[in-house]
Amino acid sequence: MIEYILCFLLFCIGLYCILRKRNIIKIIIGLGIIEYAVNLFFLLIGYRMYARAPILAKDQVITNMVDPLPQALVLTSIVIGLAVTALIVAIAIRIYEKYGTFDITKIRRLKG
Amino acid sequence: MKDNQQKGMSLIVKTITRLTVGLILLYGIYIVLHGHLTPGGGFAGGVIIALSFIHLMLAYGKETALKKLFQTLTSVLESMGAVMFLTIAVLGFLGGYFFLNFFLNKGRSFELFSAGIIPLCNIAISLKVGAGLFAIFVALVLFRSLGEKK
Repeated sequence: MIEYILCFLLFCIGLYCILRKRNIIKIIIGLGIIEYAVNLFFLLIGYRMYARAPILAKDQVITNMVDPLPQALVLTSIVIGLAVTALIVAIAIRIYEKYGTFDITKIRRLKG
Repeated sequence: MKDNQQKGMSLIVKTITRLTVGLILLYGIYIVLHGHLTPGGGFAGGVIIALSFIHLMLAYGKETALKKLFQTLTSVLESMGAVMFLTIAVLGFLGGYFFLNFFLNKGRSFELFSAGIIPLCNIAISLKVGAGLFAIFVALVLFRSLGEKK
């Protein structure tokens, strides 16, 4: 149970980072932390005690293995997270070019 | 020489990069080729291959890295990866259905040349991922330098 609580704590740290920080780069880092917390949660769901990864190897018989389905999901999720992060960074660079700042409270020239 | 020193990072970083960048590239290729036997595969190996070029770019500045791998070449490689993956998938129709293993010789398990079309798919994915990730990085870097010029 303690591992799920720690995972939720990691999620809360990321959420705090997104809601409370004003620098766009720190918000992007917070998004990354949230993403990794969710990935960790998926992996924890599939975990079994004293089990090993479901990969066949030579001269070995695996009797006790973890659930491979969350791992496949997390692999896809990592790829999507990479693309999303690249997109956000590109938008952040564009904002910096246009406004000269990363502070979200100073970006106010949206109207008109 | 002075002008060459200015670009990129310090001499220590450049020396370490020169020693390690080939090893990183080789490790990426190893991960791709053994994707069907050990953990790893197309995506992870492609990311490591792209990271070796990004490493070069961070240490030596963008001119040296772009001399090794042009921007147009990266887009060609990326498209080639996608087309290769689709071709492997469509070649399965020779036997009747999508993604059919068209190799008659199955090979023995736990050897490098086994598992039919999966290693070829891994190579295609690694081309796509490696070239794509490097292209993203190059696009961000060039984007910033364009903004500074304005």
